Amino acid sequence: MKSIKDLLSKITVENIKIELMRTAYGNKDTFMGKLDPRVAIVWYLIFAIIPWLFWNNTILLGFLLYMVVLLSISRVSPLIIILLAFGLVTEAGYIIFVSVMFGGDLTAAMALLTFTLKLTIISLASIAVFASMDPEKFSDALMSFRLPGQVCFGISYGYRMLPILIEEYNNIFNSFRLRGKVPEDRGVIHWKRVVYYCKTAVFAFYPMMLNTAKRTRTTVEALEVKGFTYSLKHEEVRKLKLSYLRVQPRDIYFFIFTIFLIITVIYIGHLYPIEREIHPL
Amino acid sequence: MSHLRSQQLSQSQKLMVFILSMSLFGIANIITEITPEFVLGPVELSVSYFAFVPLTMVFLFSPLHAALGAPLGEIIFADLLMGDFGGLGELEGFIEFGMGMYVAGLLVKDPTNKKQLALGALIGVGIDQMLSTIVDVGKVWFGIEELEAVPGVAESILVLEGISFTTEMLISGVLFGLIPTLWLVPKLYGKIEPLMGFEPRNPATFRSSAEVINVKFIIPAVFLGFVAMIAEFMATLDVNFAVWEPEFIDQFGMQFLWVGVSAAAIVLLVAIIGIVKLKNSQNPQDKSKGA
Repeated sequence: MKSIKDLLSKITVENIKIELMRTAYGNKDTFMGKLDPRVAIVWYLIFAIIPWLFWNNTILLGFLLYMVVLLSISRVSPLIIILLAFGLVTEAGYIIFVSVMFGGDLTAAMALLTFTLKLTIISLASIAVFASMDPEKFSDALMSFRLPGQVCFGISYGYRMLPILIEEYNNIFNSFRLRGKVPEDRGVIHWKRVVYYCKTAVFAFYPMMLNTAKRTRTTVEALEVKGFTYSLKHEEVRKLKLSYLRVQPRDIYFFIFTIFLIITVIYIGHLYPIEREIHPL
Repeated sequence: MSHLRSQQLSQSQKLMVFILSMSLFGIANIITEITPEFVLGPVELSVSYFAFVPLTMVFLFSPLHAALGAPLGEIIFADLLMGDFGGLGELEGFIEFGMGMYVAGLLVKDPTNKKQLALGALIGVGIDQMLSTIVDVGKVWFGIEELEAVPGVAESILVLEGISFTTEMLISGVLFGLIPTLWLVPKLYGKIEPLMGFEPRNPATFRSSAEVINVKFIIPAVFLGFVAMIAEFMATLDVNFAVWEPEFIDQFGMQFLWVGVSAAAIVLLVAIIGIVKLKNSQNPQDKSKGA
C-alpha cells in the first residue's frame, strides 16, 4: 500500500511536464538526427518489414546487434530502452507461463524467443529513428511523401501547442481539486481516492473541451486568413516549403552501408543458421 | 421538418473539428499514459484510453473528421512527441481506432437520445478492440513458424487476448467510455457548437444515407471477421482445448491455416472497400462546397 502511495507522490504533474519537454524539445544533434529525414524513414521501413521475412535466429541476432550499436551512437535515453526491454520480457514470460499451464514445454519458449527478437528489432529501429528526429523535419518528410497536408500540419501544431494544453489541463484539474474534497475514508488500497481522481480527471474535460473549441476556432481562422487550405492544394507552396531538404553524401554512404550489412548478415545467417527444430508431429 | 437539411461544413469548419478532436484526444492520451497501472499476473487493469473524448467529438460533430483527428492526436501527442513512436504499428492503431469511432459517430442520429449514445459508444470501442485482437492474433500466427507444432502457445495467446479484450471493454469501454459520454454529450450539446461557429447537430446533419448504409455492412463485417479469426485459430490447433491431437493437424493443418488467412484477407478487403466507398461518397459534396 505504501509503495503505491510513494509512487503516486513521485508522479507530480511538474515532473512529467519537465520530462515531456525534454523528450519533445531535447537535443536532436545525434547521428540519426542529422540524417535526411526521408532517408531515415525509408531506412526504418526496411527494418520494420525485414524481420518478418526471416525465421533464422542468426540473421535476427545480426540485425539486433546492428540496432544496439546504432542506438549506442544515437545516445537514446536509457530509460526508454529499459522500459522497452522490461515490457518485452514480461509479455513473453506471461505467454510461456500460460502455455506451460496448457501442457506445453520449452519449445514454446524457443519459438517465442524468435518472435520477441523480431518485435525487439522493430521497436529498436523505431526508437533509433524517431526518438532523435525533429518533429518539424519529420512532418516535412511526410509532406514530401505526399501525405495529406492536415497530417503534417497536425504534427507541427502539436509540437507547439503541447505545453499550453498540458498547462491548461493541469490548471483546470487543480481548480477542481481546490473546490472539491478528497474522501477521508480511503477504502481498501485507496480505491476511494482512485475513484475520486478518475472522476476529477473526467470532469476536468468539460471546461477543457469548451476552451479548446474556442482556441481551435481562433487558430483555424488565423490560418485561413493566411490561406492555409489554399496553399495545401498548390504544388509551388509545397516545393518552397521543402526546398531545404537535401540528400547529403553522408546519407548515401549510410544507406549503402546498411544494404551491404543486410546482405552480409543474411549470407552469414545462411552459412551458420540457428533455427528452431520443428517439433516432430 | 423542413428546416432539417443535411448541413454541410465548410473547409475551415472541417479543419476545426479535426484539430479540436486531435488536441483533445492527444491530451487525454498523455494523461492516460501517466496514470499508474495495476497488473495482476496477465490481467492488466489500466486505462488504455479515455474513449469518452473522441466519442463525444464524433457524436457532436462531423463523424469523419473527428474520427480521423482523434487517433492522429494520439500518435502525435502521446507517441511522437513523447518519444515512443511505433512506426508502422501506429498505422494499425490509427485504422482500428479511426474506424471504430467513425462507425460510432454514424450510428447516432440525435445526440440527445441516450439509447443511441450508449449503443454508439459500446459499438465504437467494441470495433476497435475486436480489430486489435484480430491483428494481435494474426501477428503471432505469422511471426511464429509452424505455430501448430508448438504446443500451448496458441491456447495461451487466445486466453491472454480474451482477458485483455474483456478488461479493455470494461474499463475503456464502459467506465471511461460509456458513462462519461452519457454525462458529457447532453451537457455540451448546443453549448460547444456556437463557440466553433456552427449549428448544433440535428438528425439530418453530417450523415449521408450512403454512409449509414455502409455502416450497416461494416459492423457485421468486423464482428464476423473477429469470430472467424478466433474460430479458425482454434480450429487450426485443436477443437478440444488442452488436448493435443497431432493427427488432426497433420490432416487438416495447412488447409485450415489458409481458410483462416483468407478469412482475414476478406475482412481487410471489405474494410478497405468500405472506406474507399465512403470517401467517394463524401468527395462530390466536398467539391461542390469547397470550390
